[in-house]
Amino acid sequence: MSIEVVDARQWVERAESMRAEGWMMLDLAGLDRLGLDGAAERDHRFEIVCQLVRRDVKQRTSLHVTAEGDPPTIPSVTHVWGLAAFAEREAFDMYGIHFEGHEGLSRILMPDEWSGHPLRKDYGVGKITIDFKPQPFLQTDTPGQSTHGLASDVELDALGQIKPADDEARHE
Amino acid sequence: MSKTEKRIEEHDIVRRLEDEGHGAYVESYDPEDERMIINMGPVHPATHGVLRLLLELDGETVIECKPIIGYLHTGMEKECEDQNWRSAVTIVTRMDYLSPFFNEHAYSMAVEKLLDIEVPPRGRYIRMLMSELCRITSHLVQFGTQGLDMGAMSVMFYGFRERELIVDFFEMVTGLRMNHGFIVPGGVWEDLPDGWEEAIDGILEVMPGRLREYQDLLSENPIFIERTRGVGLITAEQCDDLGVTGPIARASGIDWDLRRDEPYEAYEDLAFEVPLQHQGDVYARYQVRMAEMGQSLDLVAQIADKMPEGDYKNMDPKLTPPPRSEMNRSMEAVIHHFKLVTQGYPVPPGEAYSPVESPRGELGAYVVSDGGAAPYRCHVRDPSFYNLQSLPVMTRGGLVADLIASIASIDPIMGGVDR
Repeated sequence: MSIEVVDARQWVERAESMRAEGWMMLDLAGLDRLGLDGAAERDHRFEIVCQLVRRDVKQRTSLHVTAEGDPPTIPSVTHVWGLAAFAEREAFDMYGIHFEGHEGLSRILMPDEWSGHPLRKDYGVGKITIDFKPQPFLQTDTPGQSTHGLASDVELDALGQIKPADDEARHE
Repeated sequence: MSKTEKRIEEHDIVRRLEDEGHGAYVESYDPEDERMIINMGPVHPATHGVLRLLLELDGETVIECKPIIGYLHTGMEKECEDQNWRSAVTIVTRMDYLSPFFNEHAYSMAVEKLLDIEVPPRGRYIRMLMSELCRITSHLVQFGTQGLDMGAMSVMFYGFRERELIVDFFEMVTGLRMNHGFIVPGGVWEDLPDGWEEAIDGILEVMPGRLREYQDLLSENPIFIERTRGVGLITAEQCDDLGVTGPIARASGIDWDLRRDEPYEAYEDLAFEVPLQHQGDVYARYQVRMAEMGQSLDLVAQIADKMPEGDYKNMDPKLTPPPRSEMNRSMEAVIHHFKLVTQGYPVPPGEAYSPVESPRGELGAYVVSDGGAAPYRCHVRDPSFYNLQSLPVMTRGGLVADLIASIASIDPIMGGVDR
């Protein structure tokens, strides 16, 4: 299996010619090179890694496409391989890589209101505190999910909270 | 009318519809062309997990279907980066929870590529044995839930009854029924226990008859055929475009199975056929899976027959903790054990991708190492994630009832989709 680095500017052209040759895309994943050797010399930090297969000749290849600019940007290839629609959304969600020309580039795994991109190397496990806001029991602002039938004075954010102190007090 | 005003008006219509008793799932309703946007899931008995669908309906016809995922996202790829190479297996195995051995297998093969090590023949055969049994358990769940969704409830019980038989064998070998963490870089964690041959013989004795029984239950069942023939169509070109693999692609006439076409482990020593269908509908997928179960049983028999003797894992002391007997005698063995447990082993810098043929298609692990004792990046190409993209293609223009059949035939595992 060979590995090749492709510049973002040539990516769409390259993708189209590969598709014409019969290459099928199997995977597209983001990669943050921040902690890898030689990251300082390179002028880009983010790239996507594509796994492709050609079934007729039983051949596989792996392509790295570099993301340039701020925010890191790569042209979208959703018109070439339909598979990229979900995969590019995941790379955007996890790494904040923007895909130019992707219709409906939005978060796919994380909640829409999430800030930050979790798989980035400077977004460490335990390094960023996450505020768990008390969620309302029912999302009343969403059409179709009304508080219909619920007493309006229900303390929604108190649901499910365990208060051991109260419990102890009762026992005493 | 501004967007907000429109939204408020829509909201009012929805409220009115609910008050009139039209159900609480309506997201929006356009009275002019009677189009409705309906929310299905994330908690719904027919979505096989926390899959949410937004459906645009014209009466009973699905105009557009949009899968919304992420409800089971727990950041497993990120968690892997916090583990050492050995213990990341325990996280990877939890992704596609109905086929845990395949996750472990793909990951272990990728790490072995980086380490450039060999797995002893017995280790390879144990891996294949567990994988093929796991394929049967996974297809049995699909078979059972598909039947249930099509109104054949007894099929569900039969599917899970036979699954239990094999899951008991997993428990006997690995100690766990699911999420085994059994296949590790270098081989498998434990040798097969005493009496495994009898247990396999028991499975091989019971299963072929049961498979015939299933065929009698569903394959000729007029209601089942009526609900699955010509439903959820997808062509080979669409499969190629969306990266759909596995039984769905094989039911559309794509003759591609990694076990045969890019053999890994010792699959080239075994004789098996790749079931193929051309109709590309739900029934064809059902037939492919049923035939695959039969093939997997054949493979299990061959593997059990050919099981070689010898080491079941790579015995390199830098990689594998020494056996307990040796640690009682040798100081060096104790040191190796301590180092491996506390620090793990380093893996040379580089990257590797290795795929296996899982019950749902190509399951690949892409790992990157920076030379340290933890994965720098561990990505799993989960077939469910990409296969799910075929759902809008299959359901557009069909009926809502057919949508249920299509979801069941895609067999998405949300643990793998969301990772």
